[in-house]
Amino acid sequence: MENNYTTPLARTARILEIFIPGYMFGKSYGISNEHTVDLFRAQFPAFLINGSEAIKGLVATDSIYMQRFLATTAGAFVGFVVILVIAAILHMVLRDRKYIDSLRFAAITLIPLAVLNGTLSHAVQTLVESLGGGATVEALTKSAVESPRGTAGLLIFFYLTTLWMFGRRTGVPKKRRWVVLGVGVGFVAIYMAAGLMITPGEWAELLPKLQQTLVH
Amino acid sequence: MEINKETYININKYPLLAGLIVYVIGAVILPASYPEKAALQPGIIFVLGAGLFNLLNQKYFVGRLKLAAHIWLIPLIVGCFSYSIPIQQGDYDYNMPLWLINTIISGIPFLLLFFGKAKQSPSKKARLKIVSARIIVQCLTFMIYAAVSAGALIHLNHKIDLIYWAIFHITTTAIFPFLFGRVLCGWICPNSTLQDGLIKNLNFRRPISSLPKAIEEQTNSCSMNISGEVDKTAPMLPATLLLCWFPMFFCETVFDLVPKLWYPVGFMYGLFVLSFILPWRKVCAHFCWLSSYRALGGHGSLWRIRFNKSKCQECKKCLPEEVCPFFINIREQDNEMPASCCLCFSCMEACPFDGVITFRRGEEEKARLKAA
Repeated sequence: MENNYTTPLARTARILEIFIPGYMFGKSYGISNEHTVDLFRAQFPAFLINGSEAIKGLVATDSIYMQRFLATTAGAFVGFVVILVIAAILHMVLRDRKYIDSLRFAAITLIPLAVLNGTLSHAVQTLVESLGGGATVEALTKSAVESPRGTAGLLIFFYLTTLWMFGRRTGVPKKRRWVVLGVGVGFVAIYMAAGLMITPGEWAELLPKLQQTLVH
Repeated sequence: MEINKETYININKYPLLAGLIVYVIGAVILPASYPEKAALQPGIIFVLGAGLFNLLNQKYFVGRLKLAAHIWLIPLIVGCFSYSIPIQQGDYDYNMPLWLINTIISGIPFLLLFFGKAKQSPSKKARLKIVSARIIVQCLTFMIYAAVSAGALIHLNHKIDLIYWAIFHITTTAIFPFLFGRVLCGWICPNSTLQDGLIKNLNFRRPISSLPKAIEEQTNSCSMNISGEVDKTAPMLPATLLLCWFPMFFCETVFDLVPKLWYPVGFMYGLFVLSFILPWRKVCAHFCWLSSYRALGGHGSLWRIRFNKSKCQECKKCLPEEVCPFFINIREQDNEMPASCCLCFSCMEACPFDGVITFRRGEEEKARLKAA
């Protein structure tokens, strides 16, 4: 069976399994603009947004689609760096495969968190529209701070389930699978501690600023 | 008039095709070009449902023509009751022509089937209840999709469309794969229903009549399509499917397509068009990104079909190219079906013996696996 995985299509699939989830995971970091960048800094860890903003600053263009293309690429680059780090740790834990296979493992299992990133960035866009539409402060607070928590909980649960399932599927012994799960829990804890999702404190600071920007 | 299997298919497929054309004109073409003239009789949605139901049930209904005829009564009756409430934007009166079209499309197959004489006697083999349930769910979800799309496009109401797709994505991505695997592709997807009901029965030569061997082989050898423990180096998903996934997400973000009303509807219509170009279900097996991450979550799902190798009589009635929408060779699987199984139960229906293909792992199989 292993010979099948050296065909051109199989080799392409192995590479795509790294880049596509990587792109999905990171693109949200780059799609902010001058109006929403503070909201994105509150929604995601600020250093990730700053990183993609720095990359975006390297190339300037007037075309709106080109700007969005560069923005998503910059975000994807930052996301890809995150995946490289997680894969390096997982590689030390898994110990039974090449680094590229650990990288594929890390990237594919991150899909639920990529969905979470996409949902949170979509929530920012919706929030800006609601602000412009004159929604009440309570409604805005609910959609900025409270509503994403349920979605985040569900998708983090799926991320951990995926790590367990993929470990089992690719023959990782049970004891080591617990360590893989531990890496996942550790990553989620660091990600949250670094500033994933808007806290009530951040929102209290941001709301007056955003209202002022939209009035002007 | 004597009606054999082929005639039965024709009696049902042409009204269904006519209904589809009326639907596309009323709900897609007119709203895009003359929104003020766009209108649709709700009975047409039931024409689609009735046509698909009869075609999906052809093995059972071909010997029971009167029963099949009664299914065509539903759009006739709905058409009469909804005479004064067509789906439209303005308050102009298109009721009579719309009602007439609906009555002609559903009346002709009703009369033909009602007065026709079945050439073959009804099959004696009892129908699997789960297959009947699947066909009902397929037809209902297709009709809901058709009604929601028509309502959203004619009334330019994005909200109803968004709610539908939100429910669709949440259930099929986050809940169903962990319970039933790739059930989306066997029970819920409107495109797969249309393929199983209509496109499979169309006899034209497809523009792409077969896929390159390399694509088929790669798809069949990736870990999504095989059961049991896999090689660490095996790709999880086929390359063609991953390649279709990327432009989707890429265009969605770069061109900001998510808030556009036509985007989810247009995507589904794109899949319909592809399904007419490729052979039956090849678009689902190799190219549809919607199914891909549902299948990824399906590894280790709670309910799955089991193949009890120790009971198999090697009759080869479950050959992948003839029975399975995802071309899984069940006899090569080690007891459980791979994640690409869509729980359509076609293999279970095709198997003439009891206990070979089951929903629960058999006792002999448990013993065999333990010994191995």
